[in-house]
Amino acid sequence: MKRTFLAFLCVALFGIIACDDDFTTNERQNVQDLETFFLEETNVEQAVIGVYDLVQFNYGRDWHSAFLVKLLAGDDANAAGGNSGDQQQLQDIDDYTNVVSSNPSITSIWDIFYRTIALSNLIIENVQDSDLSNKDRVLAEVKFMRAWCYFELTTMFGDIPLRLTVPQGAEDFGLAKSPRADIYAQIESDLADAITGLPDRSGVADNFRVSKGSAEALMGKVLVFQEKYSESLPYFQSVISNPEHDLEPNPADVWSIDKEFGIESLFEIGYVSTTSRDWGNIAWGGRNESNLHIQLMGPRGDGIFGLDGTGLINGWGFNLPTSKLVDAFDSAGDVTRKAATVMSEEELIAAGGFVDASAATGGEIWDYEGAIRIKYATKAEDTSPDGVRELNYSTNFRLFRYAEVLLLAAEAYNKAGQDGNARTELNKVRNRAGLADVDSSLAGNALFDAIVNEKFLELAHEGQRFWDLVRWGRAATELSGTGYSSKNDLFPIPITEIEKNTEITMDDQNPGY
Amino acid sequence: MKINLLSKALLVVSLLFGVHLQAQTITGKVTSSGAPLPGASIIVKGTSNGTSTDFDGNYTLENVSSNAILQVSYLGFVTQEIPVEGRSVINVELVEDTNSLDEVVVVGYGTKQKSLVTGAISSVDSKQIKSSSNQRVEQVLQGRTSGVTVTTSSGSPGQGAQIRIRGAGSSGNSEPLYIVDGMKSASIATIAPGDIENIEILKDAASAAIYGTEGANGVVLITTKRGRKGKINVGFSTQLGTQFVNTDMELMNASQFVQYMNEAGVGTVVDNGYDTNWIDETFENAPITRYDINVSGGIGEKTSFYASMGHLEQEGVVGKENSSFKRKTFRVNVNSDITDFIEVGFNGTYTLSDRFGVVENSDTRGVIQNMLIIDPLTPVTYPSESDIPQTVIDNAIANNVPILRDGNGNAYGYPSYSTGEVINPVAYANAINSTLNDDRQSLYTAYLKLKPLKGLEITTRYGRESGKTDILNTVNPYFVSSEAANTGYTGSQNKFERRRWLWENFITYEKSFDKHNFKLLAGYSAEDTDVITTISRSGTVSVDEFTGFNFELPGFNQQINTVDPFFDNMVSTFGRLSYDYDGKYLFEASIRADKSDKFPTANKTGVFPAFSAGWVVSKEDFWKEDSFLDYLKVRASWGENGSRTNLRGNSDQTFITTVLNGLGINYLGNTGAQITGFANTNLVWETSEQLNFGVDLRALDNKLRFTTEYYKKTTRDAIVSDGSLITPGSAGFVSNEFNAGTIVNQGFEFEVGYTDTTDGGFTYSINANLSTLKNEVTEILFVPEGTSLVGAGAPQNGDGVTRFEEGQPSWYFYGFETNGIDPATGEIIKVDTDNDGDIDNLDKTFIGSPHPDVLYGGNVNLAYKGFDLNVQFQGTIGNDIMATYHQPSRPITNKPVHFFDNRWTQPGDNASFPGAANVIDSYDTDLVVEDGSYMRIKQLQLGYTLPTSFANKIKLQNFRVYVSLDDFFTFTKYKGLDPEIGNFNFNSIGVDRGFYPTAARAIFGLSAQF
Repeated sequence: MKRTFLAFLCVALFGIIACDDDFTTNERQNVQDLETFFLEETNVEQAVIGVYDLVQFNYGRDWHSAFLVKLLAGDDANAAGGNSGDQQQLQDIDDYTNVVSSNPSITSIWDIFYRTIALSNLIIENVQDSDLSNKDRVLAEVKFMRAWCYFELTTMFGDIPLRLTVPQGAEDFGLAKSPRADIYAQIESDLADAITGLPDRSGVADNFRVSKGSAEALMGKVLVFQEKYSESLPYFQSVISNPEHDLEPNPADVWSIDKEFGIESLFEIGYVSTTSRDWGNIAWGGRNESNLHIQLMGPRGDGIFGLDGTGLINGWGFNLPTSKLVDAFDSAGDVTRKAATVMSEEELIAAGGFVDASAATGGEIWDYEGAIRIKYATKAEDTSPDGVRELNYSTNFRLFRYAEVLLLAAEAYNKAGQDGNARTELNKVRNRAGLADVDSSLAGNALFDAIVNEKFLELAHEGQRFWDLVRWGRAATELSGTGYSSKNDLFPIPITEIEKNTEITMDDQNPGY
Repeated sequence: MKINLLSKALLVVSLLFGVHLQAQTITGKVTSSGAPLPGASIIVKGTSNGTSTDFDGNYTLENVSSNAILQVSYLGFVTQEIPVEGRSVINVELVEDTNSLDEVVVVGYGTKQKSLVTGAISSVDSKQIKSSSNQRVEQVLQGRTSGVTVTTSSGSPGQGAQIRIRGAGSSGNSEPLYIVDGMKSASIATIAPGDIENIEILKDAASAAIYGTEGANGVVLITTKRGRKGKINVGFSTQLGTQFVNTDMELMNASQFVQYMNEAGVGTVVDNGYDTNWIDETFENAPITRYDINVSGGIGEKTSFYASMGHLEQEGVVGKENSSFKRKTFRVNVNSDITDFIEVGFNGTYTLSDRFGVVENSDTRGVIQNMLIIDPLTPVTYPSESDIPQTVIDNAIANNVPILRDGNGNAYGYPSYSTGEVINPVAYANAINSTLNDDRQSLYTAYLKLKPLKGLEITTRYGRESGKTDILNTVNPYFVSSEAANTGYTGSQNKFERRRWLWENFITYEKSFDKHNFKLLAGYSAEDTDVITTISRSGTVSVDEFTGFNFELPGFNQQINTVDPFFDNMVSTFGRLSYDYDGKYLFEASIRADKSDKFPTANKTGVFPAFSAGWVVSKEDFWKEDSFLDYLKVRASWGENGSRTNLRGNSDQTFITTVLNGLGINYLGNTGAQITGFANTNLVWETSEQLNFGVDLRALDNKLRFTTEYYKKTTRDAIVSDGSLITPGSAGFVSNEFNAGTIVNQGFEFEVGYTDTTDGGFTYSINANLSTLKNEVTEILFVPEGTSLVGAGAPQNGDGVTRFEEGQPSWYFYGFETNGIDPATGEIIKVDTDNDGDIDNLDKTFIGSPHPDVLYGGNVNLAYKGFDLNVQFQGTIGNDIMATYHQPSRPITNKPVHFFDNRWTQPGDNASFPGAANVIDSYDTDLVVEDGSYMRIKQLQLGYTLPTSFANKIKLQNFRVYVSLDDFFTFTKYKGLDPEIGNFNFNSIGVDRGFYPTAARAIFGLSAQF
């Protein structure tokens, strides 16, 4: 009112020429200028949280999660869902043949990984020349995140734009692709800084933050992906010899709500059940603090799967295990870890549940091969008891855990000709699963096969399998008859990127798309 | 002076001839529509003997010879000549003149004689509005004039409509500027149509340029009624009617559906004895009632007033009260001549409305969308409790929710076969969601006008618009399927307030010497708009703890959003020079400079010039007096306008924020921060340049009127607010608002009218208008050539169904072109448009345009004695409609019956629609695009007016009753529900997500004046 009055008075007395500059300026609300924002430590910490928040968004976004996009191309999981056309973009990834450059899930993860990178770039640009007290740790943490995102991107897309600065405007939007080798070089450089700047796990302020061990483990993984096996070993050794990192003793605990951010976790994304999401306020396509993805991946209701006696709640039916995976557990004699990963139809019925195919569309449960999934399942204990249970799962995604480090180390030792060390690391994973040591004479390619199989079981439904098969050159054999062809080794660059990035044309599209 | 000379001459002549007739005194009353007309002038033809009527319309004229002729005139009315024929009492009824050349039209900051207008202006007056059963001004305008497209958002009562003047000039919001009694108004929805005196539509740039920034999409000027000095008048009118849906759309019935599903390989679908026609079941008859009362007249000799109250109640044809609209309007207009040179006035209106709406504008979860796809094997309600399937009961128990029931306690049918989001639409409309918009709006203007010198007027005018809106949304608990469920009582409340003031000061000066007439306008203005959301909260209360939708309870305050206030400030200076030589050569120039907070500092000010000229050919000496053409004017105009809609301001800065989409950025209890969007320091004003040529003519003693226009409107630097349209994903965040490209709209407009009264008293008038419109995007900046911006989406379709692309109509339909059905397989043959031997998404192309080639409308009025018949029609030619209500991920869904009738069934069939097994492939092809051309009889109305003499006996001045069929007859080949397809967004015009159709109405109406 006062403003109005002053404006009136001003206009009345002096005419508009004198007062309009002030009158025609309105500050944007609830925002801060970049220049002043980064002058304070607490603000910088908020920006770092913003980075974590984007990773959370990316892996759990309703129909377009990085979690499922990475996973569904593997032979451990089927897309499933309500029917063969349910969330076509996910079915397409699972089925290989019709993966298109307009696939909205692929587009979404591309965009959000780059958004995470952009925010990291912003922090790095604004903090690196400052004298803030938290500068070193912040730079290290953010560089880990940037490395993580570029590693995920280059694994799935190959050569990609390498953006390390914040665009000043539309004139900076165009950026050509860089070779994968350049991406790896940048990732290694960022991780080297992260290893230097990050504290040990016991020294991080919050349990969700990455530590020196996270960065070392990721450095090792990145090197293994480049087949730089010997170079990777010191990083793995550092993590393995660090008492702050270890396996959970019990396989089922790895994904339990009681062991979130536990000793096995190297990088984990958290979700909470306390934000009272309901069917009215759930943000479709937006950011929810609860893990909507768990609902998406729950055994389908509608009278198809009865879950009495399992402690599970019905969901929307995506991400069912393949019979190949179930068979692999059985032929390995794996009982304990299998129970923490999948549940066969017989086991479901024995527990008190049922399976009724006649209730499904067309009388057939799409993509169902005789078992449901227990890992990352719709566990009643993981959601809010009083709220809308379907929408408030708090299940964390364990994106990188110690068991994977052991298996990567085993692979690196094997490839570097140190089979004894390879067996040691492999056996740690087997023993935890309740399996005996491998034969001490197992070596060379046979040992490698054992590592491959162990990883199939240990990391089932965690999105590693397909990308391992590709780098091992085993995709064509393992996935024969599924519709897979070598073009699937990479996802298409999203058409939206090609259309809007002036430095990328259709000629830059990945082969086969 | 002239008259004096003439009368003196006549006097001399009469003296010479020695004709001397008896003189007498005449008294009488001049009325209009039965109401007294004060200030009308009465002159004895050929003499200087004259007078004017008093406040009661009475006059006394002395010394009139018995064979004299009285000339009775009043501005805006047809002048009458009445032979005295020895009478001493002569009452005169004047009729308003709708096609007078001296008719005055309202233009920006003033008025102008129609004969001197050089721009393209269309007018609609109160008579055309009076008996319409449309409740919103936008709808009243539909089909009335050329160049104006009105598309309703939906047929739901009280829902808005979009007005487009000469097409969409922008890729974004292209809403015209609304000015009500001089005050800029955000919406004209709150104006009761009955209060409107006239509406002028400024179509060309030269007419609109005086409004600068906001004139690019045309200007709608609304003038409300003023009182007339004199006796108090009371008017009353009412409408009672019923609404119903009149559609030819047909879906598959139960047996067709079973056969279709079986052919598609879904053998589980069997005939279960139910056969529900969901279209019939979802729509029901709904009442509409309206009452208006108004009082007008003079207070003393200096002041006049008009006051009115209106009450409207309209239920919806879907869900009755659940999609209803109630509105109360109040208006007071007062103006007063305090002295000879000071005039003050006030126009104010206050509107209260409650609008309930069902869920719509969703391609997966809309009531109508569900109606179109739910299987016909589901009953509306189960015949008895024992018919409720066990799974329905089990699901209700397992999720602790009640079974959905109707008002009589009968259980609603749950989909027998359809899965996913599909819900029984009758249950959906009545028992699940409720949305109430409670709205209070006021708009007033007050002015002071000083006339210190002859020809000089100084006006200061202050307008204020304010509104409060409270939107309550509630969802009851239910469980239909895991995708369509709510396990608690969910509610949300959003309250916001908006305020705007506009203060304008301007001077006009008029001067004539010889035959040169000048009129000068200069002024400045300032305006301020604030929109503040005071409450935005939501939450869910479990079934066991629910005690009612009390939004003060913590359960409904679980999520509290932060909504940023919106501010808008602008200052402007403007001027206009109008010149004419003897009403023959016309010229006008105007300029406006706007300074807005919405632009970067360097580009804050936009300047918008305009020029126009006209030549009244019929005033030339060479024009033959006896030509059948009475009047001919040719004119041309050019001008520029701007637009700053869709802008938030501060687009030249990159900010960081801890709040995104109203919610705090949070990760595990820690506050996070992110960038809002990348700065665009280059943002410039969107300018629309428009060239207009027009011809006006009158012929056959002014009975025939004809106007034609050609225009070309080029919108440059069109502003698009969605920066993601130009930002590659790899940039990370999205750009702020940007200048997108160039759009060209061009077309011809024709308006023709003919009015006559035969000797027998039969009056008829025919009016018709026709517009052509060609819309093309001629340039897109930033985006590489050959690519397009993605608009409206459709379920499971990552490509979107509308696109914005160079060389194409804006937001055209995008999908696969088909070339028939493969006779061998029943599959759709998609066209390999890029000739790479492969059918993939890159083959998607232009498959239709939502923009009509031709828009037309018109009316025919017939009147004889007391009877009148009015037919009003409106239509489009050449626009397409694309259906997006189909669900690719839900195979067991119903479809329009032509999918069944024309399907492929066996090898060798030459079918136009695919076999049932391949139908899902059709959802993103031209098979779901149809011609949306239609012609609709907006109104067919028969009325009877009591003869004045009889009316007067029962103390009435005027009394009319009528019956009317509105939106009743529609002629179209479109096979969907309603060709007048709604849209809520600029990029989804013509996209049929399953819209609430426009209801047909049968109305009884009555109006009386006391």
